[in-house]
Amino acid sequence: MGLQAYLTLAAIVFSIGLFGVVTRRNTISILLGVELMLNSVNINLVAFSRFSGDLSGMVFTVFTICITVVEAALGLAIVILLFRVRRTATADHLDLLKG
Amino acid sequence: MMTGDGTFALAALLLHALGFLTLAIVAPLRRLGRPAAFFSIACALGSLAAAVTAWQRHMGGAVSRLVWQWLPSQGQTLATVGVLADSDSTVMLSLVALVACLVQIYSLAYLSDEPAPSFGRYFTYQSLFAFSMMGLVLAPNLAQLFICWELVGVSSYLLIGFWYKKPEAARAAVKAFWITKAGDVGLLIGIVLLWRLTGTFDLTEMRVLVESGALPVAGLSIITFCLYLGAAGKSAQFPMHIWLPDAMEGPTPVSALIHAATMVTAGVYLLLRTEWLFALTPDVLLIVAWIGALTALMAAILACVQDDIKRVLAYSTVSQLGYMMTAIGAGFASAGFFHLLTHGLFKALLFLGAGAVIHAVHSNDLPHMGGLARKMPQTAIVFLIGTLSLAGIPLFGGFLSKEEILGAVWAGGLPGPFIILMIVAFLTAFYMFRVVFLAFFGHPPAHDHGHGSHTHPHDPPAAMALPLWVLALLSMAVGVYFTFTHPEPEFESPGWLTPAAVSAALAGIGLAWLTYERKIINAASLAAAFGPIRYAAIHRFWIDDVFEGIYNAVLLGFSKVVGWLDRYIVDGVLNVVSSWTLSSGDDLRTIQTGRVQDYVYGVAVGLLILLLWARWALA
Amino acid sequence: MTGEVFGFWCISAVLVSSALAVVLTKNLFHAVLWLALALTGTAGVFLLLDAEFLAAVQLLLYAGGIVTVVVFAIVVTEKLVGERLSQTSRRIGGGAVASAALAWLIISSVMERPLATTRMPMDGDVTKAIGETVLTRFVLPFELLAVLMLAGLLSAVYFARPEE
Repeated sequence: MGLQAYLTLAAIVFSIGLFGVVTRRNTISILLGVELMLNSVNINLVAFSRFSGDLSGMVFTVFTICITVVEAALGLAIVILLFRVRRTATADHLDLLKG
Repeated sequence: MMTGDGTFALAALLLHALGFLTLAIVAPLRRLGRPAAFFSIACALGSLAAAVTAWQRHMGGAVSRLVWQWLPSQGQTLATVGVLADSDSTVMLSLVALVACLVQIYSLAYLSDEPAPSFGRYFTYQSLFAFSMMGLVLAPNLAQLFICWELVGVSSYLLIGFWYKKPEAARAAVKAFWITKAGDVGLLIGIVLLWRLTGTFDLTEMRVLVESGALPVAGLSIITFCLYLGAAGKSAQFPMHIWLPDAMEGPTPVSALIHAATMVTAGVYLLLRTEWLFALTPDVLLIVAWIGALTALMAAILACVQDDIKRVLAYSTVSQLGYMMTAIGAGFASAGFFHLLTHGLFKALLFLGAGAVIHAVHSNDLPHMGGLARKMPQTAIVFLIGTLSLAGIPLFGGFLSKEEILGAVWAGGLPGPFIILMIVAFLTAFYMFRVVFLAFFGHPPAHDHGHGSHTHPHDPPAAMALPLWVLALLSMAVGVYFTFTHPEPEFESPGWLTPAAVSAALAGIGLAWLTYERKIINAASLAAAFGPIRYAAIHRFWIDDVFEGIYNAVLLGFSKVVGWLDRYIVDGVLNVVSSWTLSSGDDLRTIQTGRVQDYVYGVAVGLLILLLWARWALA
Repeated sequence: MTGEVFGFWCISAVLVSSALAVVLTKNLFHAVLWLALALTGTAGVFLLLDAEFLAAVQLLLYAGGIVTVVVFAIVVTEKLVGERLSQTSRRIGGGAVASAALAWLIISSVMERPLATTRMPMDGDVTKAIGETVLTRFVLPFELLAVLMLAGLLSAVYFARPEE
């Protein structure tokens, strides 16, 4: 399968993840959507790297995976903290920035 | 630039300026009252002496110009300031100086009840007026004339409204100022247009231009008409006459000075000074003559129904001003000017005499007077002299000047105004002798007018009597002198003119005698015979109401429109813009929901739009 | 149909369907499980692309680590709230349109371009090559990553401190 196929796959997964981020009520669900988006990015990177023969793409993917792990951990920590303070995990209730 | 000897004229002018400035600046002197008055009178006497000397030197037609540069413009002089003394201006100067001096002496006694500070204030204003009137008379150019013209208006306002605590006086002063100002707008426009046409303000230069035929005549009618408007305002021609009767709220000496002899004649004087200009526009002169005649007739009718002695004299002044204007309109300005001079003398006399009567009876109203000839013989004599002059009886001052006007109007080919003026001569004699018979003859009124202990009229004190006698003697002297040394008029009068005029006057006197003295003709039925005219006259021909109506409708209406525009359109636009801003701000606020998801959504949509644009717009 | 193509289609089906399930299920816990499956699918894609090391990393860190952490977070928050969190979605219409449009845009842009269809040769031990590259050419990002992880660790500990 050519590069186009993998890019198409990544695009589909990306948009599904975006849909999840925009639509879901629960904060943790939003984080799941973010995970999907990041995964699609990784697929993109690896695909390009493979088809051009340059390994830097794969190295980059290792790095992004690590960073994503850190981000997920901290994001969930913040969700738990928010729970403690505001007793809610619903994203709609977290609107202190409301103008 | 200086030719001839204008120093005496200048001295006359500057003495009054000295009087005014000293009294205006040195407030302690002014507040002392009588010393201020004496200072002002001293200046007036000196000014009179200087004026008469100047007149003597210029009687034969000599012309002196004494000017200084005043307004520079592009290296040349735009306007000068100074004096232009010739035979006309110096004799007018002498009249002004004489009447101003006599009035100030008269005021010493007439206003003796005034508290000292306002007494001093009065004389300050008197000096200001005399200075500005002389500046006007001696003006070598139209710029100085206009400034002095306005100063005269200001002085008139100050003097009419001297008793400013009286609401009627304050209103009358404002009314006078407004009406004359309306005319002054025309004057200013005329002066500027004239400058544009000739390139100069100077009267001498303009005259040279006109007499050499270098002045383009096109469009000159508008200019002269504008100048006439200014004159009509000051000289109370119809319809701008309405301020003069109301101006009688001022002290009587003020009326004698300003509204008989000097300020109101400024208009006539202006037309005299520029008669060579008006000669080029005969159509405007025709308007001048007709309006003058109509003013004379209307004012004479109005004078017949007045009960206030000063109002009778005020309308009489308006009527005589109409006479002068008609003569000018006929093309013989010197006849008008002659009448101006004699009228100045006897009208001032009549006013001062009326002032003596008012001072004695403490009332202006004719019904409160009667049989005063026995109690105030001196006043009666001088008043009678003045009345005979006004009526135009031979040997008295006004006779020859009136006859000359009638002759001028006839020679100018204006039969309509001529007939009107004849009728007015009859009416003039009638209403003046009505006053004489009602006030000085007959019986005193019953003592139930609530005057208390003031019902013992007597002749005025010396300070008031002296000016009266001086004016009376001068009126008679002028009359006698000109009767025997008849100067050659510029025109031929028909032989029947003099007898016709004198008979008209005698007829008027006869009618008044029959009605008010002999009581053969009932006054009431005489009035009823002229029913509708009388009714209109009592309502002053509703001219005041017309003015008020125009003011309310036009000015106030316009103000209301402008106010509405300001509130709803100007403010409205601003308010709408501001409220739009606020409401759109409120609406835009809803974008900030505070929820991160919505922001991500916004980012996604924005990204979408960018990609769409990149694909189609750029590709 | 070669093995690679068949494998691609299978794994794509798994990935896409499990991704859809992640965003569409009502139950949060089920969503996490579907996510685990999706992450495994991604690992499969990596394998297809001859990136074995990455597949292993993916399975270890993502499917193993993150899923575990998310499950813990769900358990903690559920416990705090005391009830099962139901999932109701809102703004479905706008979201669906936006994401669909985005997908279509990207795919159509991709389809237009003539992209590579054959793979470049990659000989030798890929894992070894990646390791060498990380420690020579990309050593600075590697170290920075370590700092980042340390910071993340410390902040997680700080966040999770007991209330006082």
